[in-house]
Amino acid sequence: MEHPNPVVFTVASAIALIVALSVPAFAHHGWGGNASEETEVTGTVETVSLAGPHATMKVRVGEQVWDITLAPPARTQRAGLRTDSIPIGATVTVVGHKNETAGRFEMKSERVTWDAEVFDVYPNRH
Amino acid sequence: MVGVPEFLAWIEASALGVLMRESGVWTYGIVNLGHILGISSLFGSLLILDLHLLGLWRRVPLAALSRATVPVAQVGFALAALSGISMLSANATEYIGNPFLAIKFPAIGLGLVNVWVLSRLPAWRTRDQREPSASERLHLAISGGVSLACWLTAIVAGRMIGYW
Repeated sequence: MEHPNPVVFTVASAIALIVALSVPAFAHHGWGGNASEETEVTGTVETVSLAGPHATMKVRVGEQVWDITLAPPARTQRAGLRTDSIPIGATVTVVGHKNETAGRFEMKSERVTWDAEVFDVYPNRH
Repeated sequence: MVGVPEFLAWIEASALGVLMRESGVWTYGIVNLGHILGISSLFGSLLILDLHLLGLWRRVPLAALSRATVPVAQVGFALAALSGISMLSANATEYIGNPFLAIKFPAIGLGLVNVWVLSRLPAWRTRDQREPSASERLHLAISGGVSLACWLTAIVAGRMIGYW
């Protein structure tokens, strides 16, 4: 080795910076940033999507449309929930953890119930 | 002048976005895998090259090292860019207002400008024929340092997009 020390220092600093930047950021992935207690939302289905990083639903409660985040698409499908499983306009009850930020109608959800059908996308979480 | 929100809405509505959303529950995960392979090929090879430009492994000639690392970095960049645009198109409007997007893409832009500058340096262009002078070594080292800073920033900001 010739004179690696400044370089080693640079790389070590960069890695330390990455670690420092990573610590506060767990709002979307995982369950951080969501209330620890469970919330139940009952409303009518506007959309069901099994695309993108995770499956999503939009559920209307009066004037408010909730953004419901479910499990990854494949896991949601294994729980029996497909885009055509619940008719648009049907009344569903969603159980999950809502976003802690006031005024954000978003919920990371464990279970969707429609009539007698239960779609348990995270059965081990409650 | 089209703004970022308009561009994100356009790419979400594009045929690529429709394909990403309607081609099965594993599509996003597989494209995400392509992104990881692209980034690891790109960053792995440029990490070796940039550390060499910064002065490590002097006994390995730059010409030999670049012959191996540059094509791998190019293929990695192409794979990362294609998979990244595809993933963005799946749910692009969800990222409107995401500050990490505004860090990531300028960092990639600067990284590419740095590649272009490096490719114009005489010491780089004649690396097959001669050794760089002391002042040229400094230019190469600056380019290597800027490169590491740009691509590390892009990777950190990119990883954080989904956590916002």
